[in-house]
Amino acid sequence: MERESVCVLGGGSTKYGKLDDSISDITLQASVGAIESAGIEPKEIQAGYISNVFGVADKQVHLGPVVMSNLGISECPSLSIESACGSGSVSFREAFANVAAGFYDAVLVTGTEKVTHTGTDWTTTYFSYCSDFFYEGQAGASFPGLFASMARAYLHEFDATEEDLASVAVKNHENGVLNPKAHLRKKISIDDVMDSAVVASPLKLYDCCPFSDGASSVILCNEKFAKEHSKDYVKVIGSGRGGSPAALQGREKLTTIPSTRIAAEAAYKMAGITAKDVDFAEVHDCFTVAEVVDSEDLGFFEKGTGATAARNGETKLNGSIPINPSGGLKSKGHPIGATGVGQVVEVFEQLTGKSGERTVNDAKIGLTQNFGATGASCAVHVFESV
Amino acid sequence: MYLKVCKLSAKPEFIEAAKAGNILARKCSKCGALHLATVYYCKKCGSKEFEDSTIKGTGKVATYTIMTVPPEGFEDLAPYAWVVMEIDDSDIRVSGFLPKIATPADLPIGTPVKITGFDERGIVLEKQ
Repeated sequence: MERESVCVLGGGSTKYGKLDDSISDITLQASVGAIESAGIEPKEIQAGYISNVFGVADKQVHLGPVVMSNLGISECPSLSIESACGSGSVSFREAFANVAAGFYDAVLVTGTEKVTHTGTDWTTTYFSYCSDFFYEGQAGASFPGLFASMARAYLHEFDATEEDLASVAVKNHENGVLNPKAHLRKKISIDDVMDSAVVASPLKLYDCCPFSDGASSVILCNEKFAKEHSKDYVKVIGSGRGGSPAALQGREKLTTIPSTRIAAEAAYKMAGITAKDVDFAEVHDCFTVAEVVDSEDLGFFEKGTGATAARNGETKLNGSIPINPSGGLKSKGHPIGATGVGQVVEVFEQLTGKSGERTVNDAKIGLTQNFGATGASCAVHVFESV
Repeated sequence: MYLKVCKLSAKPEFIEAAKAGNILARKCSKCGALHLATVYYCKKCGSKEFEDSTIKGTGKVATYTIMTVPPEGFEDLAPYAWVVMEIDDSDIRVSGFLPKIATPADLPIGTPVKITGFDERGIVLEKQ
């Protein structure tokens, strides 16, 4: 089947963190940022894709029409997509598929979340509904607990230490300091991580990403439309999705996330590349162990060596494969419905010379990987500069 | 007790079995693959014909965490372990919580554990 070549034409984000404005307003602010970055008029948008999980927490679901109406294009069709923490990349994928198929020339993809006003107890409980609740959330596992169980299995199976995991947090905070929109812009040390309170052993507070508010948005379009509007665009050359057993107990191994491997294989195949061709990656580091597992499942490192690679600095900004130059979920923050789109904004900015001090040198190909829950669903995308 | 074709949601029976210290499983009538009773189709061959099979709820710890910051409903229990256990003589795993575990030394991977019940939250485990 002949496909349209799909491009990211512009990107915008609010700051991630504790935000005062309503979910409708932050969603609009990010959307306007993407529209202005793309140099287009709202009336050129033919569809809106909104990713969000807990709009109910700020008394607004069915966000699409609210966004479209306030952009002056109430007639424009829109929808909302929920796939837990992977909502943003799933929404991006659906938008990609529709532009690739030729249904639309240009669409708006905006991810958004606002939960910090509800407090940690509410958020922890509601997030646990993203697990296979009968077996996991209801039986006493929080998300830190589920990833801690993966971390325990990883540390048991491979030659890795809690300090190795901590090095992921240290590196992501180093990058986040350079990102003006990051939630936690603070340099931390291995000792800071090791001395922080245990949340669910072996994970400590600084192994965990924060609860964040925030919104991110991109304009996705075909290449003809992109060329007519700007020279600053990047091509989406690979898109893949995959699934895993919803509950950890259903997985043959607890140290790999099947959906990531399936999605990466599909995305690499579509792009005609291998992991070695990727210059940098934005990956789903909701917990330090997740980034280690991701870096192996994406093919950057052999299984069991990702923690050592992180400790040795291979994933730093100047390393062999920089991971999470934005600061990742750990430091940039994790507004769950926005995260997958925020990763695309980072790649767009990196590949169009807009990422300032955190720029990865000579990068041509960037990758995003974003999953829902413990990786029960995942999407991987590959981008190339023009 | 064997049923050639199980009724749909088996959760009530699964819970009753766990209260008696057992796992209610479904064995695929076509390929023999074993699943927890809550599945609707076989993951190996796609069949939806199963025979119910009650398995003794003993096994060992595959992995676990010790929850020090508990979710709603577990405030009175912390710290406790949340455990993925491997059921003896099968390739199935199931999850539950194990009270009164404070440090990793209390529950190394491989520790023998057993199901002792299912309260309003989930499967309750104990060390054997």
